Amino acid sequence: MIEFTLNGERVRTDDSADTPLLWVIRDTFKLKGSKFGCGAGLCGACTMHVDGRASRTCILPISAVAGKAITTIEGLGTPDNLHPVQESWVAHSVPQCGYCQSGQIMSASALLADNPSPSEAEVDSAMAGNICRCGCYPRIKAAILAAADSPVQQFDPQLDHPSQQETEASA
Amino acid sequence: MSTVDYSRRRFLRNSGIAGGGLLVGFSLTGCSTSAPPLKPLAGALAPNSFVQITPDNRILFYCPRDEMGQGVTTGLTTLVAEELDVNPAAIQIELAGPHPDYSNPAFGAQGTGGSTSMAAHYDQLRQVGADVRALILNAAAKDLAIDVAQLTTDNSFVIANGERHPYGKFVASAATLEVPVDTPVKPAAEFKYIGTEFPRLDGVIKSTGTATYGIDIDVPGMHYAVVARAPVAGSTVNTVDDTATRDMAGVIDVVPVATGIAVVAEKYWQAKKAAAVLDIKWDQPELAKVTSASLRADYTAGLNEEGESADEEGDAAAALANATHTIDSTYWAPHLAHAPMEPMSAVVHVRNGEADVWTGSQGPGAVQGLVARYAGLDVENVRSHQTYLGGAFGRRATLHHVIEATQVSMATGKPIHLLWSREDDIKNGVFRPASLMNIRAGVNANGKVDAWQAKRVGGNITPETLKNALPGFLPNMPEGVIDWVVGLSNSAFDGWVVDGSSVEGLFEDYDLPNREVTHVTQDHGLPLTFWRSVGHSYTAFAKEIAMDELALLADQDPVQFRINNLDNNPRLQNVVSVAQKAMAKMQPAEGRFLGFAAHGSFKSYVAEVAEVSIENGAVKVHNVLCVVDCGVAVNPDVIRSQMEGAVMYGLTAALHGNLDLDDGVIRQSNFHDYPILRMNEAPAVEVIIVESREAPTGVGEPGLPPIAPAVANAVFKATGQRLRSLPLRLA
Ligand code: FES
Ligand code: FES
Repeated sequence: MIEFTLNGERVRTDDSADTPLLWVIRDTFKLKGSKFGCGAGLCGACTMHVDGRASRTCILPISAVAGKAITTIEGLGTPDNLHPVQESWVAHSVPQCGYCQSGQIMSASALLADNPSPSEAEVDSAMAGNICRCGCYPRIKAAILAAADSPVQQFDPQLDHPSQQETEASA
Repeated sequence: MSTVDYSRRRFLRNSGIAGGGLLVGFSLTGCSTSAPPLKPLAGALAPNSFVQITPDNRILFYCPRDEMGQGVTTGLTTLVAEELDVNPAAIQIELAGPHPDYSNPAFGAQGTGGSTSMAAHYDQLRQVGADVRALILNAAAKDLAIDVAQLTTDNSFVIANGERHPYGKFVASAATLEVPVDTPVKPAAEFKYIGTEFPRLDGVIKSTGTATYGIDIDVPGMHYAVVARAPVAGSTVNTVDDTATRDMAGVIDVVPVATGIAVVAEKYWQAKKAAAVLDIKWDQPELAKVTSASLRADYTAGLNEEGESADEEGDAAAALANATHTIDSTYWAPHLAHAPMEPMSAVVHVRNGEADVWTGSQGPGAVQGLVARYAGLDVENVRSHQTYLGGAFGRRATLHHVIEATQVSMATGKPIHLLWSREDDIKNGVFRPASLMNIRAGVNANGKVDAWQAKRVGGNITPETLKNALPGFLPNMPEGVIDWVVGLSNSAFDGWVVDGSSVEGLFEDYDLPNREVTHVTQDHGLPLTFWRSVGHSYTAFAKEIAMDELALLADQDPVQFRINNLDNNPRLQNVVSVAQKAMAKMQPAEGRFLGFAAHGSFKSYVAEVAEVSIENGAVKVHNVLCVVDCGVAVNPDVIRSQMEGAVMYGLTAALHGNLDLDDGVIRQSNFHDYPILRMNEAPAVEVIIVESREAPTGVGEPGLPPIAPAVANAVFKATGQRLRSLPLRLA
């Protein structure tokens, strides 16, 4: 049984300890916003925040996240309450197929939380782990640079407002 | 390819899947369910298969084409919205399921591809919008007892004597009236939404993780299946030892399927781990003897064969003999995988004489037909639920994952989520064919390209694509007949007619009064299909480098040289002229060089300029200028994003894309050895859309073909090295 915090709620699972976090989030907790692209840490589609750091969860066994705080795209913002990075994504019409975008947004929001006004080169290097096969890169970059100027500097709402509420999920 | 005059002779010689379109000479109408496709909501007006309006003024549009990122939901909604007079952002978009009413007018079947959607639906969906608006106006006139001529509309409201009435107020009364037909549509000058800038309509769901893709489907009782696949395409199972697999946690069954052995478990991770310990012996096909080197040697020998004629005009041989300068150049493009970001997946539940299937495909009708065929059901008893597609690029028209999920659901009685890995997709998918192309061409003293002899050696996509498409489109056609048709197409393309998609783009753009285009088929058994821009993805590379080589020999500016050879192709000529002016303003910094290429495909015309430098022995692309004429620009921002995306997709192929064969096995497996362009390699892209009143044409694919030759032509300027092989590698 492994316990961690998921979007502000304490959760536990008895999925086997070697199961990558991505599949626990998708198949056990049924949050489908984080995507599977390569299963090998190469594309970033599965990116979530683990204690605020952008992490490739397709290769992160859940044994490694015991006691940690996980934020997924669902914990970042919702269609009715967009996170500043998501707002910028919508305004720039970034997504094409959209499949990589949860991962892109999780990487971008972690970058901005760390470095509120990155240079273009810093954006390039922070985003180099996220592939977009549709080739939305110029818009991703523009959206990040525009969000960097946003007055709202709260880039992981779940870390700022951890809820103590506990729920259980059986695996 | 609107510049091609399809004379009867040429029509007969080029059949098959041209430009990613479907078949010439086949009528694909397998899925005829007669029930109306929409379920009207309570009290709603549903006058046709595309639109319904509820009493509380919700407006729903059933989008007949599949959204794979190309912006088709935004585009087609805009067409209906324009004539219905509703802001597109206020319309609720539904992804249509299979029904003959949702056929692609370009194919006569329900498929999305070939950059056809906007062109094919432009008249139809504006007409739908205009007729429904007229119906609402007639109902309003009746209910308000006002002459219809006194009424106008504004964003889903009828305006009567200055008062605003929601469309929804009149739906009950409209339902009793006849639906008007052939209502006049607006002249372009009155467009309110077409041609304007607004954020794409799927932006919010795709920025919040709330768009549902095939991989996201999760239904009660669902189990996961993972297939252990043969290392060599076309192998069959000889023996299986599944003892270790069956002992593993969560595993409930091991099921043979068409393509290998499926392991079924409660969770994906369990199925994946258990499939890895299956012990399978395979019987291997001839392909197992093929390596990259042997394939290349066969293709090179193929260049010496006479081949089949694909196109002929004037006397190319005589013109070549008389030319002032000539080239004899050979170009190579390798096999490629599509690698859409979302791996293949399907959820299928077969039970009690009916079935449900959920997947994101380029044809929900074919999905329905496949499940019906493999489950032994009538299509009426198969519900095919379409989702968003996590990229496609031609890949999601081949649907082995649907067949596999159906077979596993049949065997287990459970809803089955069958998911491919990235390795499955790169090693066991369907591929863009490799091509070896030779161009012998000559330019005369006037700077006109007088002689053009082009030959392409490689595989054809039509037989394999037919083999995969027919079972779904014609679920009742017996396997034997399908094998016969596929066999017929195989032998036809080997020495009788030319598969149009194999040579498209090799000769159509320029005037070329004396030309001879031939094709030599080399089929090693690797499954091939259309890949973003199909034949144009490699023919433009050969043709546009050849034009640069000829311009250099003739001592002419390569851009002006193209303009001089486009007298019979005024739209491409204009695009090149616009690019020429914009290019004159580009001032490459020290060490950077500009390369140019232009190409017409999918009835659109594109010119691209690449600004390139060489850094640490590798090609770096800094900026790209793209000029496109695609007729009326319905959604300018979607067009820009498709051009940007096609440039990136084409740059991946230009700089990285390559698959090798080792004894029939694809050597590459994931993004470490099949790299995709990343942000730090991505150039800035400026897009110029040429203003046009012509009917809209393709935008998903035409931005791709010019980029690789534009970069190669820039590399030549930077280094003097004429690179004629993809991916581009400096000596
Ligand atoms: S799915 Fe995790 S990095 Fe690709
Ligand atoms: S939007 Fe399709 S992969 Fe990024």
